[in-house]
Amino acid sequence: MNQTFEVLGFLLIVFTLLMQWEIHVQRIIFLFAASSFVIAIFLVLLGLRHPQEEYMLFVLAGLTIVVRGITIPVVMNKALHRLYEKPWRVREDKPLLGVGGSILLSLVLIAIGYFIYQNSLYSVLKVRSGSVPFALFLQASLLIISHKHAYIQMIGFLVMENAVVMLSGWVFGGLPFIVEAGVILDLLGLVVVSSLIIRVRESAILQEGDTAESELRG
Amino acid sequence: MSQHIIYLLPIFFSLLGAILSILPIRYIDRTMSVVASALALVSAIYLLFQPVCIDGYFYIDGLSKLLILTIAMVYISTVLYSLPYIKHLGNLLFQHRLYYFLLNVFVATMFFSVSVDNLGLIWVGIEATTVSSALLIATKNNQITVESAWRYVIIVSTGLVISLIAITFIYGSAGTLSLHELLQHHPDNRVFLIGILLGVVGFGTKAGIFPMHTWLPDVHGKAPAPVSAIFSGVLLPVALYAIARLIQIYPAHTIKLFALTLGILTVIAASLMMTVQTNYKRMFAYSSMENMGMILIGFSLGGYGLLGAVIIIISHGLAKSSVFFLTGDVLSRYHTTDIQAVNGLFQRLPRAASTLFLAAMAVTGAPPFALFVGELFIFSALITQFGWLIALVVILFLAIAFIAVNFRTGKMIFTGDENIKKERPHIETWIAIVNLILSFLAILFIPYFELLLKNLL
Repeated sequence: MNQTFEVLGFLLIVFTLLMQWEIHVQRIIFLFAASSFVIAIFLVLLGLRHPQEEYMLFVLAGLTIVVRGITIPVVMNKALHRLYEKPWRVREDKPLLGVGGSILLSLVLIAIGYFIYQNSLYSVLKVRSGSVPFALFLQASLLIISHKHAYIQMIGFLVMENAVVMLSGWVFGGLPFIVEAGVILDLLGLVVVSSLIIRVRESAILQEGDTAESELRG
Repeated sequence: MSQHIIYLLPIFFSLLGAILSILPIRYIDRTMSVVASALALVSAIYLLFQPVCIDGYFYIDGLSKLLILTIAMVYISTVLYSLPYIKHLGNLLFQHRLYYFLLNVFVATMFFSVSVDNLGLIWVGIEATTVSSALLIATKNNQITVESAWRYVIIVSTGLVISLIAITFIYGSAGTLSLHELLQHHPDNRVFLIGILLGVVGFGTKAGIFPMHTWLPDVHGKAPAPVSAIFSGVLLPVALYAIARLIQIYPAHTIKLFALTLGILTVIAASLMMTVQTNYKRMFAYSSMENMGMILIGFSLGGYGLLGAVIIIISHGLAKSSVFFLTGDVLSRYHTTDIQAVNGLFQRLPRAASTLFLAAMAVTGAPPFALFVGELFIFSALITQFGWLIALVVILFLAIAFIAVNFRTGKMIFTGDENIKKERPHIETWIAIVNLILSFLAILFIPYFELLLKNLL
């Protein structure tokens, strides 16, 4: 079973790498949907270890498919359709990293994730390949930092959440169902609100150009 | 559970206010928001006299009760201030009733966050405050407010993912997220320690703690006055409440030292940033950041430091909401947030100007306001535990902040030529005055606060 988890973890890292290299927003949304299905499979496999006691994991897997795999991508896609005439052509115009740079940086982040995990938590947790969620989290951070397009930043945040689901399930055996359900509902609310904000933001930028930078400096 | 239903009242009233506000009936949004906030305040006062409630669902001790009261007081003043303010605000992103709906839901999520007996649900509540408040920032529809709302969502949510990892670590090592169970017994291992440390960083993002504070000046600088007031007055302390609980659960020296360091760095960074501000709303946002730093220092010290932190929460919540209400008044007259462009405020609006002057003094810790007493308690604990040197460093930066804020506020109020004519004051200035008076009167209730917090001191 552990090897299956490792394969799924590897798949998630590959999906995130593809998101990093992809420039078309709609394809990145599809990649996120695919990675959410991988998370759902992961939860089902976790539940199958002790189906009697951990039956809530199946409910959680169902919720993951409905919310993360279907609803969130559909909401984001609809927002893209409302904003652009040709949503399939919407792209990150000026990615901060080229493909070569992102490969290199992603590999460095995977190594950093591994290094941090091996030196701080492995001796306590004793879970082989427990560094995968950490690497995924760091890659999601890179996705946010290296892109200016709001939809891609949002996807980066969602990938971070997926990394946490994987961490809690794989390394710690999951969170209480009420908390997981609350997290999913929050996520759904956040995506709906963010889609509205992004839509208003992008339409303002399309009309007036980006004038906010000079006034907002953190 | 059934006998403790009374503790749900503040959440219930604000949610009811939200549901009724959205109905398409004329004036129902405003009327129901006022009624809901008044009932929430009455129930918050009533809860003060009820016994502590720890039953697996709720964790309502003295700290929670005082936070519920502070939220309720800022809630009602924000609703009352919003009535005329939002009516005159042009180019809204959405209808008035959605504004009141979001405001009520936002308050309900804050009440929820400080009432539940589960760290995971506290996280859910605090993340829900992000969902409900993001659109409030962009109430006035322009590119800059929408951009600041987006930055708020992405920075705060990313920070809160760190605290979700923290919750995972805590649950993974302790097997429970119940506050009362964690307070009774918790593991003493590296995973638990890392969980608590990550929690301080993650929730600190929402509270505007250095170095994850960058969203705070952008949002406070651009949000409408009532939204800035409720953000600064109660949202930031609600995020700090989660940190207070983490420190209470595991009061190890490493945790306290880490929180203390972050608190001191926050005070230093905010004070330095205040000296270079040219925008009065951003300047007061950094002042909030400085106060959050002081509160974090108080929580990290525990004992009377914690009492000092709670006094600051209450006093700052009322005084800072007063400040932001008045900045709304200034903005509506001068149509700018540039400090250089605002002068002669005293001649133009004497009542608002004198209230702003006193409120600025209050939020920077001038005596005789309660915030000054809160800072004294914190310094007393700081000197006892860490000696004079660190206390002097903090005092130095508080003095810098005091001068920076009051010099600039004084400049806006007292400079100007003789030709400036007095204008008719807005009625909502009275709300700012009432909040400032309450902030002052808080000093009389310090013995009662101490009594409520006695199990934590």
